[in-house]
Amino acid sequence: MNKTLLSFIVTVGVAVALHFGVKPMFLEGEPTMFINRYAFFLLLVFSVVGINLILRLSPVMTMKAAYIWGLGFYFYNPYQAGTILTPPIPWTLFITYMMLWTIGTFLYISQDRDTFAEFRGPIVKTVTGEYKIARYIVFALLPVMVGWGTYNFIYPSYPEPVELRTVHPAPPATTKVHGKTYALEGLQNPFRVDEQDNYYEGGTQLPVEGKFPFIDAESVEYIKYVTEGGTVFFQNCHYCHGDQLNGLGMFSHVFNPTPANFVDPGTIAMLRESFLFWRVSKGGPGLPNESTPWSSAMPPWEEHLTTEQIWKVVLFEYWYTGWHPRTFDEESSSGGEEGGGGH
Amino acid sequence: MFSTKFKKLQALPFAMFLALTVFAVNGLMADVASAKEVFAEQAFAEQAFAKEVLAEEGAEGEGEGEPAIEWSQDVFYKDWEGNPLKGPVSGAPAPDLGPNDYNKYDFAPSRILLWVANQQHLYFGSFVLAVPIFCMLIEFIGIRTKESDPVLSEKYDRLAHDLMKISLTAYSWTAILGGVLLFTFITLFPGFFKYMAGIFRPVMHVYALMFLAESGVLYVYYYGWDRMKDDQFLKWIHCSLSVLLNLIGTVLMYLANSWATFMQAPGGIDEQGRFLGNIWHVIHSTLWNPVGVHRILGNIVFGGGIVGAYAAYHYLSAKTPEEKAHYDWVCYIAMFIAIFGLIPLPFAGYWLMKEVYAFRQQMGITLMGGIMAWLFIIQAVMIGLLFFGANSYLHNSMARVRGSHRYMKYCKYMVLVLIVCFTAWMTPHTIVMTPAELKAMGGAQHPVVGHFGVMSAKNTAVNLMITTTIFCFLLYQRANKKITVKWAYIGNCWLTAIFVGAACNIVYLGVYGYFLPANQRVGLSVPQVTTTLTTLFAGTAINISMFKDSESYGDIEWGTQSRVGTYAIFLLAISFTWLMGLMGYIRSAVRLFWHVTEVLRDNGPDAYTLTIGEAGKMLTFNALFVWVQFGIVFWVGSLTGKKKVESAAPQGVPVPAQQQQ
Repeated sequence: MNKTLLSFIVTVGVAVALHFGVKPMFLEGEPTMFINRYAFFLLLVFSVVGINLILRLSPVMTMKAAYIWGLGFYFYNPYQAGTILTPPIPWTLFITYMMLWTIGTFLYISQDRDTFAEFRGPIVKTVTGEYKIARYIVFALLPVMVGWGTYNFIYPSYPEPVELRTVHPAPPATTKVHGKTYALEGLQNPFRVDEQDNYYEGGTQLPVEGKFPFIDAESVEYIKYVTEGGTVFFQNCHYCHGDQLNGLGMFSHVFNPTPANFVDPGTIAMLRESFLFWRVSKGGPGLPNESTPWSSAMPPWEEHLTTEQIWKVVLFEYWYTGWHPRTFDEESSSGGEEGGGGH
Repeated sequence: MFSTKFKKLQALPFAMFLALTVFAVNGLMADVASAKEVFAEQAFAEQAFAKEVLAEEGAEGEGEGEPAIEWSQDVFYKDWEGNPLKGPVSGAPAPDLGPNDYNKYDFAPSRILLWVANQQHLYFGSFVLAVPIFCMLIEFIGIRTKESDPVLSEKYDRLAHDLMKISLTAYSWTAILGGVLLFTFITLFPGFFKYMAGIFRPVMHVYALMFLAESGVLYVYYYGWDRMKDDQFLKWIHCSLSVLLNLIGTVLMYLANSWATFMQAPGGIDEQGRFLGNIWHVIHSTLWNPVGVHRILGNIVFGGGIVGAYAAYHYLSAKTPEEKAHYDWVCYIAMFIAIFGLIPLPFAGYWLMKEVYAFRQQMGITLMGGIMAWLFIIQAVMIGLLFFGANSYLHNSMARVRGSHRYMKYCKYMVLVLIVCFTAWMTPHTIVMTPAELKAMGGAQHPVVGHFGVMSAKNTAVNLMITTTIFCFLLYQRANKKITVKWAYIGNCWLTAIFVGAACNIVYLGVYGYFLPANQRVGLSVPQVTTTLTTLFAGTAINISMFKDSESYGDIEWGTQSRVGTYAIFLLAISFTWLMGLMGYIRSAVRLFWHVTEVLRDNGPDAYTLTIGEAGKMLTFNALFVWVQFGIVFWVGSLTGKKKVESAAPQGVPVPAQQQQ
C-alpha cells in the first residue's frame, strides 16, 4: 500500500481514537497541572508525530502540511465541543490565527525547491488526472463545499454586529471641572503625597508589624486619602466596577462593553492620573467625538462628586490594584523643552 | 565568488550598528543636559539680539509714527526657566478658514485627490532619494574591489550605473508629481497654502534652488560615468559626486519634511499662528529630526524593495543563464540593502513616537490607543509579512548553497518560533467580537491569549523574531563552509549558548514585565533590544572567526534561486509600499480636524477621519497606482538596454557565403 495513504489512515485513526476515547478523560480531570485539555493536545501532537516516525511512514509533504494545518485548526477551532483553546475565541481572532498558521504551514513547505516540489506534486497529479480516484473525490467535493459555503453565506443569521471599539480615547488638552480649567499635561494628583504608594514607616520597605493600612488611616496622611477615596468608591463605583475593581460589579453583566477592569494591566496601569481625572469627571457623555459610538454608561461624576473626591477615588483605584500611574520622565512631561534643546 | 566578497561587507552587522546608533542617539541626546543648556543660552541670546535690533528699529521708527513691535509667546519653544520663548510677531495670524478657502471637483473629494497626489510624489521621492544611496555604496564597493577582483568590480559598477539610469527617469517623474502636488495644494486648498507659504516662503525658495543643485549634480554624475570610469582619480571624484548628491538630496528631504512636521507639531509661532521671526524654529520643530531619520531609513528599505522587485521580475523572465545569474545576484544585494535599512527602522519609529507623546499626550494616545490603534494593528500584520518574506527568502537562498543540507533541518523550527511569536504579536488587546462571543468568553479579555495583548508580550515576540532571523542569517553565512578551526566545537557551543541564553533572557524579561508598573515596564525594552543586538554582534563575530581556513563545499550557484524565494521579494516590495502609505496616512491623519495642530483648523468638508475600510482602499489604490508607474518607468529605462541588444544581434546572423573570406 502507498505509504502516504497508510500514514493518512493511521494518523486519522489515532486522532479519532484519542479525540473520542481519551479527550473526555482529560476534560473530566480538569483543572489540574497535568490533566487538562492542553496536555491532551500535546499528547495528540506527539501521537501523530510518533506513529509516523515509529512506522517509518514518511508521508509526502502535502500530507505533512495537511497534518500540521489540521492540528492548528483543531487547537484554535472555537466551534467544537470541548475546545482546546478555552474559552472559545471570537471568530475574528480564529480567522487571524488560522491565517497565521496557514502562512506558517506554507513557509514550512516552501523552504526550498525540493520541499515545494514534493508538496506540489500530488496536487498537480490530482488535477491532471494521474491520481484518478483522488481527482474524482476532489472534483465531487469541490462543488459540494462551494454549495455549503454559499448556503452558509446567504442563510440569514441575526447576531449582533461586531464592534470595532477604541479602548483609550484621546484626552483633550484641557478639561473644565467645577468651573476650573485644568491642563491635563503635567497635572498631578494633589493627594499623592507619597510617591512610593506605601504606608511603611521610616523607609524600611517592610510593613510595620501589626498594622493594616485602613487602621492606620488616621496616622498616615497618604492612607487617609486612600481610605476616603475607597469610601467614595464603595458608595458610587463598585456597583459596576466591582468590589475587587475587576469590572465585575453586580450590574456589570448588563453592560456592553463591560465596565473597565482596573486590575488588568492594560487599563489604569497604562494611564496617567490626569487621564483618569478627566474620564471620571466627564464620564460617557464627555467622550470625544471621534470613534463614536462609545457605548459608555458611566455618568459624568463631576455632577455628583467634588473635585477632591474624584482625585481621592483615583488615588484609591491605584492603591487598591497595586498599579502605579503612568509617569513620563521629566523631559517628556515638560513638553517643549527637550524638543528645542536635546533633539 | 560574489557571495564571499559581499559577505565580507556584513550588511547586517552594519545595519545593527546603525540600529544601536539610532537607539543610543535618542537616549544620549535626552540625557545630555549640556545640550539643553546650550540651547537655552542660544535661545536667550537670539531673543536678546532680536530685542536689541527691534528696539533700534523701533527707535528709528518712532519718529515716523510706526506702531510698536508686538511680542508674543511661542507655542512650543521654552527658555531657560521653562517659560515660553518670546519673539517679535512677524506674520499674519492663522486664518479662520471658510467655504471660500476650499475648492473641489465633483468627481472626488479634495482631500482624496490631495492624498493621491501627495502619496505618489512621496513614493517617487523616496525612491529617487534611495537609489543614489545604493549607487554610492555599490560604486564604492566596486572601487574597493577593483584590485582584488576586477570582474566583480566591473559588475558592481555596471549595477550602480543601471540603477542610476532608472533613477534618472524616475527623477523627472518625481518632479512632475511634485508639480501636480503643488497645483493641487494651490487650487484645492488655497487658504491653507497661503498661510503655509507665508511662513515657509524662504524655505520654499531654498528648496527650489536645492532642486536645481540636485539636478546639476545628478546629470554630471550620470552622464560623466563612462568618462570618469577609467582614471582612478576621476573615479574617486565621481564617487564623491554621489556623496554630494546624497547630501543635497537629504537637505531637500529635510526641508520638505519641515512643512509636514510643522503641521503636526508646530513651533516658532504663537497661539494665533503668527510667525515669530525665527525661521529655524519653524523648520526645526520637535518632530523634524525623528521624522528625518525615519524617512532616510524608510527610503533605503523602500528603494531596496523596488530594486529587488525589478531584479526579481527580470530574474523570472530571464532567457539566458548569465542573465539569470546576474539578476539573482542583484536580488540578493537589493534584499541586503533593504534589510540594512529595515533593522534600525523600528528604533527610529520608537524615537518618533516618543517625541509625539512628549509633544502631546493625546496625540500619542490617538495613535496608539485611540482612533488610529486599529491601523497600528494592520501595521503589525504588515511587519509580520516582512519577517515572513525575509525569512522565506533566506531559507530558499540557503537551500541552493552547497553544504546547506546540514542546516536546512532547522528551518522548520525557526518557522515555528516565528509563527508562535507572530501569534502573540498579532493578538489585539481589544478583540473584535459579537456580544454573544463576549459572553461566551466571560469578559472583554481572554484569560489565555489576553496576556498577549500588552507590550510585554509584543516586545518579547518581536525580539525573538529578530533573533530567529539573525540565527537564520548566521546559518546562511556558514552554509557552504566546512569549519576546520580547532575550536569549532567550543565555538558552536558558544553560539548555542548565546542564542539559547538570549531567548531565555528575552522571555524572562517579557514575563517580568507583567509584574511591573507601566512606567518601569517600558524600560525593559532596553535590555531586550540589547540582548537581541548582542546575539548579532557576538554571534556574527564568533561565526566569522570560525571561517578561518575553512573549506568550501562550493560557490553559491547564482541563477538557481527558487521561484518561491523570488516571489518573496515581490511580497516584501508590495508590503513596503503599502506599509509606507499606511504609516504616512496615520502620521498625517492624527491631526484630525487640524491643518496645523491647534493653530489652523480644518474647516473644509473633508475634515473627517476615514473608516478603516475606506482608508485601506485608498492605500491599496495608491500602492497599485505607484507600481503601475514604476512599471512604466522601468520600461522607459529598459529602452536603452534594448537598443544595445539590437546592435549586438547581427553578430549571430549568418554571414552570406559570398561575403566570407
